[in-house]
Amino acid sequence: MLLTALIVSILVVLLVHAVPGNIVQQMLGQLGAGSSDARATLEAYFGLNRPMHMQYLDWLGELMRGSLGDSWNQGTPVVNLVLRAFAVSAELAVLSLLFALLVGSLLGIAAALFHDTVVDLGIQAFNVLGLSLPAFWVGAMMLVVASNVFGWGPPFRYAGPLDNLQLNAQIMVLPMLALGLFNAAAISQFVRDLVLEAVRLDFVRTATAKGASRTTVYAKHTFRNILVPLTSFTGVIFIGILGGVVAIEAVFNLPGIGRLILWALQTRDYPVVQGGVFLMAAVTLLVTLAVDFLYAVFDPRITYA
Amino acid sequence: MIARVLSPQRPAWIRPLVATLVVLFALASAVAQESQPLDEIYGPAAPEASRGGEVVVGIVYEPPALDPVHQQADATTAVTVLMYQGLAYTDWDGTIRPMLATGWSASEDGLTWTFELRKGVTFHNGHELTAADVKYSYDYIRSEGCGCAGSVYLNAVDSIEVVDDYTVAFHLSSRNSAILAGVADKLTAVFPEGYFDGEGAQARLNQKSVGTGPFILEQFIPNQSIRLVRNPNYWQPTVPYLDAITFVSVPDGNTLLNGLRTGQIDLAQLARPQDIVQLAGVNGLSHQEQASWVQKSLDLQAGGGVTAEKAVRQAISLAVDKGEILQAAVQGYGQVIGLVPAGMQERWGAPLDELPMRGPDPERARELLAEAGYPDGVDIQITTIIGFDWMTPAAEALASQLAEAGIRTTIQRQDLGVWINNWGARAFVDITLNDWGTVPDPSLLFDAHFQMRPVGNDFRNWNNEEATKLFTRAKQATEYDDRYELYAEAQKMMAEEAITIPLFSSSIVAVTQDRLHNYVQHPSGWYFGLIRTWVE
Repeated sequence: MLLTALIVSILVVLLVHAVPGNIVQQMLGQLGAGSSDARATLEAYFGLNRPMHMQYLDWLGELMRGSLGDSWNQGTPVVNLVLRAFAVSAELAVLSLLFALLVGSLLGIAAALFHDTVVDLGIQAFNVLGLSLPAFWVGAMMLVVASNVFGWGPPFRYAGPLDNLQLNAQIMVLPMLALGLFNAAAISQFVRDLVLEAVRLDFVRTATAKGASRTTVYAKHTFRNILVPLTSFTGVIFIGILGGVVAIEAVFNLPGIGRLILWALQTRDYPVVQGGVFLMAAVTLLVTLAVDFLYAVFDPRITYA
Repeated sequence: MIARVLSPQRPAWIRPLVATLVVLFALASAVAQESQPLDEIYGPAAPEASRGGEVVVGIVYEPPALDPVHQQADATTAVTVLMYQGLAYTDWDGTIRPMLATGWSASEDGLTWTFELRKGVTFHNGHELTAADVKYSYDYIRSEGCGCAGSVYLNAVDSIEVVDDYTVAFHLSSRNSAILAGVADKLTAVFPEGYFDGEGAQARLNQKSVGTGPFILEQFIPNQSIRLVRNPNYWQPTVPYLDAITFVSVPDGNTLLNGLRTGQIDLAQLARPQDIVQLAGVNGLSHQEQASWVQKSLDLQAGGGVTAEKAVRQAISLAVDKGEILQAAVQGYGQVIGLVPAGMQERWGAPLDELPMRGPDPERARELLAEAGYPDGVDIQITTIIGFDWMTPAAEALASQLAEAGIRTTIQRQDLGVWINNWGARAFVDITLNDWGTVPDPSLLFDAHFQMRPVGNDFRNWNNEEATKLFTRAKQATEYDDRYELYAEAQKMMAEEAITIPLFSSSIVAVTQDRLHNYVQHPSGWYFGLIRTWVE
């Protein structure tokens, strides 16, 4: 995993530097772009005149010390910027995941229990619809309807859950739904198929045959069996949500990590881009790792040497 | 004073009248610039104004940093003008008026400009403004160690002398009428003496402002918001009226419109002026349209490729229908222009009907191409910049106009960073759409762009000695009439050579909630108007 992180860090720096143009040109604009004196002064100031591998090693050195350097635009530690933005994205991602898991599992189980009935059909229709509507479109529609029909919109000035819980809830509810619906549909479809498959397994049939109640059959035998694939699927979904957060942040004007990285990329603030992307990569690695461990918890047959 | 609607066509007698008034004004200013009454700086006083209150301003482009001298981005300037001030400022009609100076005078040879400073001005850090601060600041901006774009505006300055505590003299190496516009420009501001000597001074400007302006920085949370509060020790007694302003970053144009609809945003300049139709019928909102100092232009590469040939450039110019492009790009929310932005046309523009090579005349364009040896037309590339919404429809309209003249095109979209890179290296291919301006003086507008190297940057590789001489003479002339005539001649030359084809200036559309009073949009896009704004 450390090796993966190292490769990611090299890729991040290489890619960021591969983008033409740098912060100096952004600062000087069209007019100053022609002044080589001003450019040289600023490039030296940001260390852009040093070879790229030295710039990478500097950054890696900072990383080892738990620092991501200072933002070139702001002059403040990148860690502060990135963590503040990540907290917003993480809150949205976790809320959406919980919503998707809760709604998706309940719908999936309901669809399986009432297999081939109107309920099943209705839920499947919801799934198809949810999966085919892009989350950012659903979000934009929610905003349009909220502001045009109800004259209401989520508050513009961001407040974290610790600053003001009520305000935070108002800010988060629509983005959570927009992002959650798509994933709820995905989970619902997945759970339905898993349950339908599981009830056909031999030992479930045996349990039914030996007279166990319907509740016992489902609770003890069926649902436990779907936990492992569901966990793995949830990991995938969560990583998807972390990616999807970026689009939703833009729609709902949330100051999350996606917007920060985009803003930094547009102004060529390399330390912030590198720090932000590296953090997202690290979180993805950690989620994957966590999912692996959860397998072992849910399925005692899986052990790690 | 301010064009509430797009400047209507003015009667013919207006120009000589304005010119005469401006000359009288210039004569008066050459002797001694009289101070404006304190109440009138930044626009008319509002005796009925109530004090206090806060407003929320939605901004599409967030400033990368709040450093008024190192950051050239318009997004930075728009906000920093509320915290930092120079010796002079540019009024709504483009006139340079005293700010931290109460007046100025030029020596007879035009080589020494003496500024009298305002007394009783304190910086946000409590330090009192004296001539030493002025000398330090302008010396810093023009120094190599600054790496500041604003140095371009001060390159005629040889030295700056502290005459006494409240008098400072700028000694120039050559006559330069643009020096006033230079000390009034967005990229220059006065700081306390020695400010930038300290470690991390630039970065500290994002946490703490040290200007003399009416608002003080309270908090800047990047990617979220900027909060300014009233400067309690501000030197103008009556303003500002507001207690605080919060700029909220709203990168998405539709989200901005929603914020205005729901009343969460009090003021916003629309990213696309034509979006105003989406707010039609919303109660409680007003808007104003202001002709801007920004021009959307088509620039041509004279240093290589087919556009190096004058006839090809002229054919392109003749093929262009600016009105149609204005319609396609911003649905008509703007004005077709000649060689200067709409906000400068009245004072500095050559009359549009006197400019040669005006389109659309595809027939003549074809003839020119044939005469130049291209009877079958030519192939060229049009470059547009990603993120500039107007450019894509403009390029498509342009491509079809050029096609009628036998010029086949391919459109290439470039990232802004890539584009600036090519621009600075004077290496763009064939023709490119461009978006620039925001300077009220023709010398600041033209010199760096069109003079030969090393005097200017000559981004289009024009390499025209005659034009360079003309611009130099215009810069050194002191009388408005003389300057105007020289710049008009230069504009005709530029049009004849088709080295740049300015297309239009889009309007700045500023939308306000009705509880806001007395906000008047400045043609630069700066938020000067907030200094005189009050709320119920």
